[in-house]
Amino acid sequence: MTPALFARGVSIRFGGLAAVSNFELALPVGGLYGLIGPNGAGKTTLFNLLTGVYRPDQGEIRLGERDLIGSAPSAIAASGLARTFQNIRLFHQLSALDNVRVAQFAHRRTGLVATLLRTPAWRREEEADRAAAEAWLTAVGLEGRGAELARNLPYGDQRRLEIARALALRPKVLLLDEPAAGMNPQEKLGLRSLIRTLRDTYDLSILLIEHDMGLVMDVCEHITVLDHGEVIARGTAAEVQVDPAVVEAYLGSPEAA
Amino acid sequence: MRAILPWVAVLGFAMLAQVAVGPVVGHYWTKILMDVGIAVLLAVSLNIVNGFTGQFSIGHAGFMAVGGYTAGILTYYGGAALFDLPPGAVAPGIAGHLWFALSTLVGGVVAAVAGVVVGLPSLRLRGDYLAIVTLGFGEIMRVLLTRTEDVIGSAEELATAPWTTQVVSTGGSLGFTGLPFYTNLFWTWLWTGIAILVAYRLKESSTGRAMLSVREDEVASGAMGVRTTDVKVIAFAMAALFAGIAGGLFAHEIGTTLNPAELGFQKSFEIVIMVVLGGMGSVTGAALAATILTIVPELLREFSEYRMIVYAALLVVVMLVRPTGLLGHREIWHAWRRS
Repeated sequence: MTPALFARGVSIRFGGLAAVSNFELALPVGGLYGLIGPNGAGKTTLFNLLTGVYRPDQGEIRLGERDLIGSAPSAIAASGLARTFQNIRLFHQLSALDNVRVAQFAHRRTGLVATLLRTPAWRREEEADRAAAEAWLTAVGLEGRGAELARNLPYGDQRRLEIARALALRPKVLLLDEPAAGMNPQEKLGLRSLIRTLRDTYDLSILLIEHDMGLVMDVCEHITVLDHGEVIARGTAAEVQVDPAVVEAYLGSPEAA
Repeated sequence: MRAILPWVAVLGFAMLAQVAVGPVVGHYWTKILMDVGIAVLLAVSLNIVNGFTGQFSIGHAGFMAVGGYTAGILTYYGGAALFDLPPGAVAPGIAGHLWFALSTLVGGVVAAVAGVVVGLPSLRLRGDYLAIVTLGFGEIMRVLLTRTEDVIGSAEELATAPWTTQVVSTGGSLGFTGLPFYTNLFWTWLWTGIAILVAYRLKESSTGRAMLSVREDEVASGAMGVRTTDVKVIAFAMAALFAGIAGGLFAHEIGTTLNPAELGFQKSFEIVIMVVLGGMGSVTGAALAATILTIVPELLREFSEYRMIVYAALLVVVMLVRPTGLLGHREIWHAWRRS
């Protein structure tokens, strides 16, 4: 079966620095994979490569059957690869509901003229989108909060709103960049069950970057470990935990200590 | 029905302005109310680019010039040929006014095309580049228009001049004088009402939200599937369309001359101030600021040479006291809400 997201030989250099080299991944449909690594290992760079923000120097990236190399970020997003950001990037001056509705724009069928004339078709689509956006807010636990400005939401809710916004793209694959960063233990607990629920409910394939080992080990079926831009280990949580290369990347080698 | 009613209201409002307000307030205030309408039209349209999309265009008067001169050529030379009148004569009856309406619309469309041509390359870039390109565009338009030939004043001369000569005979730096005075309260407030309605409906739509998302965070906007360059070009073209129409109204207004100096950087800057003062992204805010900044200088005529100083000082004060402008991102009917 074709993987939901496939990458092979993906490399990018920034000047003399090999930020990501020879990255490989085959995220199966419905999979929940993790990507970990020490700070500066190249995890976010990799997300930027997958979503078209950077163009890899070499390698291949496919979303289902679709070749993503050279496509604009907006085209990649519209074709079914959604993401959240490590540093929250919401539309701060817009309401929570409008943040979600921005992501629906790519799928709109009525055009500019229909918008200005407010044709019945436009109105129907607008109503349907509003209802769907409210449903997405409910799905991440933000029901009834649609009118609040994004910047006024508490931190944990902003992270949830980012997920709702990404879901509104109706993606096949969801990339979550440190969704638990800055969350308190209780918020993390809620996030854990949310990620599982989303995967099961919406047939999503999820790739998760996370520093919180508890979360990654708990929810991810498969983990890829990056260090200095290279994959140093891959496997289940139990396997990578005892992998000497991983232990060394995180804690340093015993000889050096 | 709900969709059509506002258009009917705009039409009714414009007719009311013409038949009820005009005769009551007299010539002087009619002229001021036309100036106000044109200023509102310019501010509301620039707000689509600067306020909604968060791009910084400072060449709005350049698009105004494109529209004004296009419409002027059509009414002055085109009207003379069409109605078999001496150049610059107002064609009698409804036909003349319809020709004028068509001319302003064509002026707007030509300005919109210019907007796309200027916008496509520069809107791919971010931030300040657009400001520089639009500034350059405005200046290029101004300089080009000073290089045109004298206006052809007599019917005899006009009869022998080919159209290729006519289109470049727009008066150079002296201005395109002798244009027929078609602009009235009806046309001014009809176009202004349409622009306000379009801007407001845009803001409250998915296209408008896409524009706002570009303003808020362009990277996130792209990551959410918004084709950011397309959205910016659409905003830019719409703004240029209405600026061009405003130019057509300005060109045919009594007491104004369509000349390049009038439509230079200073004019662009005035429109930017209206948008910033009113609140970036607020349709009613832009309209309100345009109204105030048109009427107040009129009331303080004696001090008119200090106007730009006052403008600049006002801008500094607003930036310090209320950086988001009078109304911020909100509309006037939200203003009672505490921010």
